[in-house]
Amino acid sequence: MPDPGAEDLLRRLAPQVLGAVVRRYGHFDTAEDAVQEALLAASVQWPAAGVPADPRGWLIKVASRRLTDLLRSEQARQRREDAVARWVLPGEWAAPAADQAGRAGADDTLILLFLCCHPALSPASQIALTLRAVGGLTTAEIARAFLVPEATMTRRISRAKQGIKASGAPFSMPAPGDLAVRLAAVLHVLYLIFNEGYVSTTGPDLQRADLVAEAIRLARLLHRLLPDDGEVTGLLALMLLTDARRPARTGPHGELVPMAEQDRSRWDAAAIAEGVALITGALPRGATGPYQLQAAIAAVHDEAPTAEATDWPQIMALYEVLLRVSENPVVSLNQAVAVAMVRGPQAGLDLLAGLASDERIASDHRLHAVRGHLLEMAGDPAAARAAYQTAAERALSLPQQRYLQARANRLGDR
Amino acid sequence: MKYMILLYGSQQDYDALTGKAVPGKPAWAPADFAAMGAFMAEFSRDLAESGELVETRGLTAPVHARRLQLIQGAPVVTDGPYAETQEVLAGYWIVDCESFDRATQVAGRLAQCPGPAGAAADAVIDVRPVAESRDELEV
Repeated sequence: MPDPGAEDLLRRLAPQVLGAVVRRYGHFDTAEDAVQEALLAASVQWPAAGVPADPRGWLIKVASRRLTDLLRSEQARQRREDAVARWVLPGEWAAPAADQAGRAGADDTLILLFLCCHPALSPASQIALTLRAVGGLTTAEIARAFLVPEATMTRRISRAKQGIKASGAPFSMPAPGDLAVRLAAVLHVLYLIFNEGYVSTTGPDLQRADLVAEAIRLARLLHRLLPDDGEVTGLLALMLLTDARRPARTGPHGELVPMAEQDRSRWDAAAIAEGVALITGALPRGATGPYQLQAAIAAVHDEAPTAEATDWPQIMALYEVLLRVSENPVVSLNQAVAVAMVRGPQAGLDLLAGLASDERIASDHRLHAVRGHLLEMAGDPAAARAAYQTAAERALSLPQQRYLQARANRLGDR
Repeated sequence: MKYMILLYGSQQDYDALTGKAVPGKPAWAPADFAAMGAFMAEFSRDLAESGELVETRGLTAPVHARRLQLIQGAPVVTDGPYAETQEVLAGYWIVDCESFDRATQVAGRLAQCPGPAGAAADAVIDVRPVAESRDELEV
């Protein structure tokens, strides 16, 4: 195994090297393969021969040579098949030079993030390509993290790269008018990576810490590149404040422990302090977006010394604002819990009744789990048991199923 | 008077330079490549010292070329437009010499460039007068 220090260095350099090679020679798709091969060569050679004096320069040189070779055989094949590699110059490439002034000097890694999260790609492709091209993960590692066969992930990444190529997107920052929408797409991809790791929709483990760590690493990177963007800060804070509870979130047998029952002394105090500082600094600046609001809610939970001391009225108020900026049934579900904690279980159950007709959430296990919880609070164990059981049947991961089944069983003999 | 000295090579020549086996071309060993580099550096340094060098550049491998053409009115890009045996511009010097004959003499020194036997067998170097103004182009 390569030592973790060298691996970190390679992962950090990966997007810089790809950026430099694509900026110089174009061919995003082939360059990406060339960089992966250069990274592989480094991981084999450096432990034995030592890290070169200029590791970034070494990787760019090796990747450029490899790109020449790959293009060489690609073009020879195309000529054999009489298929000339031609593409119509996109209209935006003919933009006047002055238009480029504001984009000059943009960080290559940032441009790569925008390219990988290009709207021409499906979310699954955006995620896979971001992890490979910006995260520097191998296809095998990404396939493992998403529990799909490597061949499936290889096809997904290759389709994604074809999508970038076909989109004709140049290696530059998005036009100023598109920036907000394109940044929202990048944030969404990082959020999905985090969620996939934290919630782990499928499989035996409740959370996959590697994806969580990678999402936080990429969010930190983006925050370094765009320190003044409130939503970037909000997303990083949200990840830190959520992940801070990870040590207490699972019991000794990998079972899920609900927040109210978690041993708060096991929460990561340093991550909470960092997350709180980030969100406290971001909130007063400009418009407050959904990631900042979610981070603020997570901060209120994390700062409560005990579950009973939680400032539910403040959480309820934050959910109300959040619902106004991003209407979403999962947010409504959380809002119902907050309302129940402030105004009593029946008020929460009334809100849930309205959600039962929302087809986006009606069959989701989370709706039934919350209903079970509120019915239990309301003193109706029989109905609560039935709701927990329905939730258990619909839960996607084994730990969630076990947890919900245990909740149901606990109420069974009353 | 300015002249351009043009040096040609095919993708296969570039391949041979990196030590790859190319049918019909001698492969370059690292020592051959180093000797060529030293010769070229000295050649350009001498021109700079005599005050005749305006500029010199080498071009990357032909596979990296993009060709733009209008096809049915639209600008179309072709990646790697050259066949691998096609001789294309590989590098150039712009020199400022007293005469065409002096510029040709300068280019002639390139014939002494070291390399593996047979490497220069089909090498071609062109010398072309640079137009000093638009007038010179209007006949």
